[in-house]
Amino acid sequence: MKIYSYVCKMQILRSMTYKFNVYGNIIMQTIIMLTTSFFWKALYQNAETVQGVEIGSMLTYTVISSCISVILTTNVEQRITRSVEKGTIAVDLMRPVNIFAVFFAEDLGNVVALLFQNLLPIIFIGCIFIQVPLLASGASVLMFLISLCLAFFINWLLAAIFGMWAFTAINMHALLQVKRHLIRLLSGSMIPLWFFPEWLRIVLEAFPFVYLYQLPLSIYIGKCDGMSLIRGITIQLVWLAVLSFIFYILQKRAARKVMIQGG
Amino acid sequence: MIEVKNICKSYNVIQKGEGFRGALKGLISRESEKVQAVKNLSFHIQPGEIVGFIGPNGAGKSTTIKMMSGILTPSSGEILINGRDIHKYRKQVVQDIGVVFGQRSQLDWDLRLGESFELLRHIYRIDKAKYEETLNIMDQILEIKPLLSKPVRQMSLGQRVKGDLVAAMLHAPSVLFLDEPTIGLDVGAKYSLRKFVKEVNEERNTTVILTTHDLGDIEQLCDRIIIINNGELIEDGNLEEIVDRIAPYKTLVVEYYDEKAPEHARCELFFHEANVAKYRFMKKDITAAALIQALSAEAQIKDVSIEEAGIDDIIRIAYGQLKE
Ligand SMILES: Nc1ncnc2c1ncn2[C@@H]1O[C@H](COP(=O)(O)OP(=O)(O)OP(=O)(O)O)[C@@H](O)[C@H]1O
Ligand SMILES: [Mg+2]
Repeated sequence: MKIYSYVCKMQILRSMTYKFNVYGNIIMQTIIMLTTSFFWKALYQNAETVQGVEIGSMLTYTVISSCISVILTTNVEQRITRSVEKGTIAVDLMRPVNIFAVFFAEDLGNVVALLFQNLLPIIFIGCIFIQVPLLASGASVLMFLISLCLAFFINWLLAAIFGMWAFTAINMHALLQVKRHLIRLLSGSMIPLWFFPEWLRIVLEAFPFVYLYQLPLSIYIGKCDGMSLIRGITIQLVWLAVLSFIFYILQKRAARKVMIQGG
Repeated sequence: MIEVKNICKSYNVIQKGEGFRGALKGLISRESEKVQAVKNLSFHIQPGEIVGFIGPNGAGKSTTIKMMSGILTPSSGEILINGRDIHKYRKQVVQDIGVVFGQRSQLDWDLRLGESFELLRHIYRIDKAKYEETLNIMDQILEIKPLLSKPVRQMSLGQRVKGDLVAAMLHAPSVLFLDEPTIGLDVGAKYSLRKFVKEVNEERNTTVILTTHDLGDIEQLCDRIIIINNGELIEDGNLEEIVDRIAPYKTLVVEYYDEKAPEHARCELFFHEANVAKYRFMKKDITAAALIQALSAEAQIKDVSIEEAGIDDIIRIAYGQLKE
């Protein structure tokens, strides 16, 4: 355990010193926040509420969604892809550690660094240009944090399971981009599913993606409470269990299939 | 104690189609071909041995080292290190192994050398006092301390290899694998590397297995060599014994005053150009002195020298590049 907390600490320091990608994401999130908020403002021109949600809540949804995207940043797939490409995966495998625990610790360290490098600027920009996020109630914030935690683990497991493909030296760079954008689109992070046609909503609710963004977001704005909240968190727990199981089975086999490139 | 029992390793090499269509097809079905890199290899290594692992390019040396250090899983067969199967108990067994790849570093590119060591200290759970002690010993052999504050990305190849050697020894492993450690090093750096291997072996009784294409490394360090070719074991044994067995001859080089070179029944004249002739003779057939005497009776000799069959010849014979 001590090993992994040290790895995490080192990763925080490393991410703090090398600020790769950080500004790019701030700009990206600003653009997403601005365009979605214009979209909402246009839509709400002739209506007080849509589907029982006010414009203020919708703008809050937009800002918090960008914040969640920072928390749900994973590097594990990239990390595996790059290590396999360069052959440095050999170094990870010759040490007395569980490589996935190391990857998790590194991702955790990254996210902690991103809280300062990415989350703060995004909240700041969001507050100034769009809307100071409204609080539905203290209880909803607490439930939001719990749901966000679960989303973090589900998201990481999805990434790790996906990343295992890279062990057999499949070039994953393009696939990773596709996955990232697909998740943002299918998870209700920009447009919540209650604006989608009924059948599509039902289909998407069968996938884990909605429970990454839309569930914590609806909890935050107070749209999801009571029974639907309990139902949502339960589904998150079920996904967590299912993915943990798949992860556990696959990781045992994955390390055996590792390709080590280069002499 | 290392026991390698009938290990085989085949790589799946994926056939990629040409162009865009090939790439698309590759997404759906992936035809793969098996390449046998290591075939049924077995050997035992006792504690405290220094074993040279040699063979031509692509022989399967690195593959074998990677399997012995727990990085790759053999397709079949088993590897026991100090009695434990490395692939069943990888996490425990690698605690007792150090590995250095000459062409790949285990040091962290983003950190200073000292920080990289500190990370390893945590990973291998080495206590501070022990760590300082090892570092002092390593400093005496490799003069590592001045490098500690240097970022790894700014180090020269030689400095980096030194760093890697120390990194591999920090947790005081009983087995050290070195895969082409001297590649690209200058004479001075090679010298300190060999000194390092000798001292670590003598002081700590560390077992060392090294692969190299530098015969100097073998001659100066190894009591035992294992030769492999095409993934198969060809020779395994004491260096001198192998020399005596597969190349039990010497070469007499004679320079005459004129171009006529006499022959002798008990040796073979295999080279003759201008005034110089080379004779190959078996040690059991005739002594060098007798041969020189017989030759000098027939022609006037200016100079002679004797060449022993060295490791050079052994390797070429073993690799099948030189006919006996
Ligand atoms: N990742 C890989 N994928 C496919 N084939 C591989 C891979 N790594 C090695 N091979 C093949 O396995 C064989 C043995 O390679 P290996 O690297 O073990 O050779 P080596 O003895 O270390 O050679 P060298 O002296 O050149 O380092 C070679 O034929 C090589 O092409
Ligand atoms: Mg090699």
